[in-house]
Amino acid sequence: MNSFDAIIIGTGAAGGIVACVLAEAGKHVLLLERGSQLSFADVGRDHLRNQRLAIYGHNAGPELVGNPRVFVDEQDRQRIVKPYELDYHNNAACVGGGTRVYGAQAWRFHPDDFGMATKYGVPEGSSLADWPISYETLEPFYERAEWELGAAGNGESIQHQVPRKRNYPLPPVGPSPQTAALRNAARQLGWVTTPVPLLINTEPYGGRSACIGCKYCVGFACPTDAKSGSQNTVIPRALATGNCELRTSTIAEVIETDARGNVTGVSYFDSAAGGPRRQTARAKIVIVSAGAIESARLLLNSHSPVHPAGLGNENDQVGRNLQGHLYPRAYGISPTKVFDGIGPGVTIATTQFNHDNPGIIGGGMLADDFIKPPIDFWYDSLPPDLPRWGIENKRFMRENYTRVMHVRGPVQDIPNPEGRVTVDATVRDKWGIPVARLSGTTHRATVEAAEFMRERGEEWMRASGCEKVWSTQPGLILSGRQHQAGTCRMGRDPKSSVSDEWGRVHKHDNLFVVDGSLHVTNGGFNPVLTVMALAFRSAEFIARAI
Amino acid sequence: MNSETHRAIIDCLIPPDDFPGAYDAGVCDYLERLLHTDLTDQAVDFCRGIEAIDAEALARFDKPFAKLSPAEQRSMLAAIEAGTVETSWPVPPSRFFEMLVNTTAEGYYSEPQQGGNRGAVSWVMTGFEELSDS
Repeated sequence: MNSFDAIIIGTGAAGGIVACVLAEAGKHVLLLERGSQLSFADVGRDHLRNQRLAIYGHNAGPELVGNPRVFVDEQDRQRIVKPYELDYHNNAACVGGGTRVYGAQAWRFHPDDFGMATKYGVPEGSSLADWPISYETLEPFYERAEWELGAAGNGESIQHQVPRKRNYPLPPVGPSPQTAALRNAARQLGWVTTPVPLLINTEPYGGRSACIGCKYCVGFACPTDAKSGSQNTVIPRALATGNCELRTSTIAEVIETDARGNVTGVSYFDSAAGGPRRQTARAKIVIVSAGAIESARLLLNSHSPVHPAGLGNENDQVGRNLQGHLYPRAYGISPTKVFDGIGPGVTIATTQFNHDNPGIIGGGMLADDFIKPPIDFWYDSLPPDLPRWGIENKRFMRENYTRVMHVRGPVQDIPNPEGRVTVDATVRDKWGIPVARLSGTTHRATVEAAEFMRERGEEWMRASGCEKVWSTQPGLILSGRQHQAGTCRMGRDPKSSVSDEWGRVHKHDNLFVVDGSLHVTNGGFNPVLTVMALAFRSAEFIARAI
Repeated sequence: MNSETHRAIIDCLIPPDDFPGAYDAGVCDYLERLLHTDLTDQAVDFCRGIEAIDAEALARFDKPFAKLSPAEQRSMLAAIEAGTVETSWPVPPSRFFEMLVNTTAEGYYSEPQQGGNRGAVSWVMTGFEELSDS
């Protein structure tokens, strides 16, 4: 039996939800995952090899050998990159995808994020555009993601920014020692603040226990399974129906089409038992949920005489507008200790600057940060004028590890068509599949917004009573990484988009992309809740269509 | 590779005070392990770099690095960091020095299971862990 109602490629934030909705609707689903099911021990607590600090490796896939990509830098020099290198723009490859090890910030986008071109116009060289759907259309699905996975937050505190009908199912994470100082400073400055919404059980929920406040959140797996991801919510639900078959260690090679170009199934390599075997599964519908880079790669690799440039790529749109977030960061030495060893550590944010900043297109959110292990702090958080070695460096670590306050946040990326995924002409992975080739940068308007947000971060640190303040400003680079999005954007016009508002690839009735690839723009927030909301919406549509 | 030289270098990078320096915290063990695992391809260059530091000390002071005064050691390392060396180096001096600084910090501040940070001393020092945790 290798014939299904639907094949879903990828078990991350979107794929798990699509599998769950379809399986619960009685559809017979095959769920493919190139990585494997990782236990808490598999993910481990290596301070140098995790999805937050990946000096020599990482902890949630893909494997370091046999999975290269090609990166083309701003000077047009290309090189082969390994999965843990920054320029690989990795997210993760395991059951749950990035949600296995993410920080789980559960932001809704701002209503204005869905109409960026209308609000700001289209800057020269950018591909800024409106979404084909509004915040109001997506609102019920945001609510569904919050309630079905389990989000903790304070709905009232962001009511004025983001209208919502129903509160979060769980109370927000409690304050840390820095929270009151940041809240009071924001009040002095006239800024709004809110607890940071998180997909973390602040109380037992969904049959799983509550957060125990350990120091290892983003980049690691949760010891009590209190952090909610695809792997411990929607995928178990899908499997419990008996209608969903999960095949791990399987990498999709191509989406199969018939002589007329209609999608018929997926060919993949199954490495689970006794070495890789090439298999083909048939389905009425194929859903690609492999993340913005791998989803684009798969469509581009699925070329045929009818679709010579790849599926959905008649107008050379697949893989373009790759975007993520630049992250300006500001730090300050607090007069009092701000570290109490209780995680996750992220507690308070301001959404004051997500829009309507003079002379700036978009903006972003700023929040305090997750607890950083000391070596992460050493790499990330030291002042630029501090010597990197010697007794002065050691004393700074000793005196200030518990006193450095930190805010950072994602800046709305202004996309452009040259930030893109293509497939490399010569480099192949260990199965012989052409690999993703990444090139281009973000638009300079993103850097301008990041500079503006960096200044706000410094302002917040100073108002919080910090004695010494410093910051980092990202340059004109390609954004993507764990917030990767935009490569198969939704839209009404096939000339400037890849799919319709449901994620259905233009000119196909049974091929869907459902993941961050669909994002026309990526908001000034962590994007995962939007990925999830879109997945619920598309999955309901697909369930009705089969 | 002269282990006395290596010890003297890393103790300049993270010197002992009332908390152990890099050597006593086990950073040599961390590096040893790293050069046999993730950095096998750089192991030869690493040894050459350490030898180059000794050669530089001999050229400048007529003494191996470990026999220099602390002030001489610090000023020589600062020169290497800036890339201003007086001898011919088999590896780019400032890049090698950066790697030394980074790997020493990694060994000192990462988890004891990696070989360094013996007894979680740096975690107690920074406050990441209470003494009773470690």
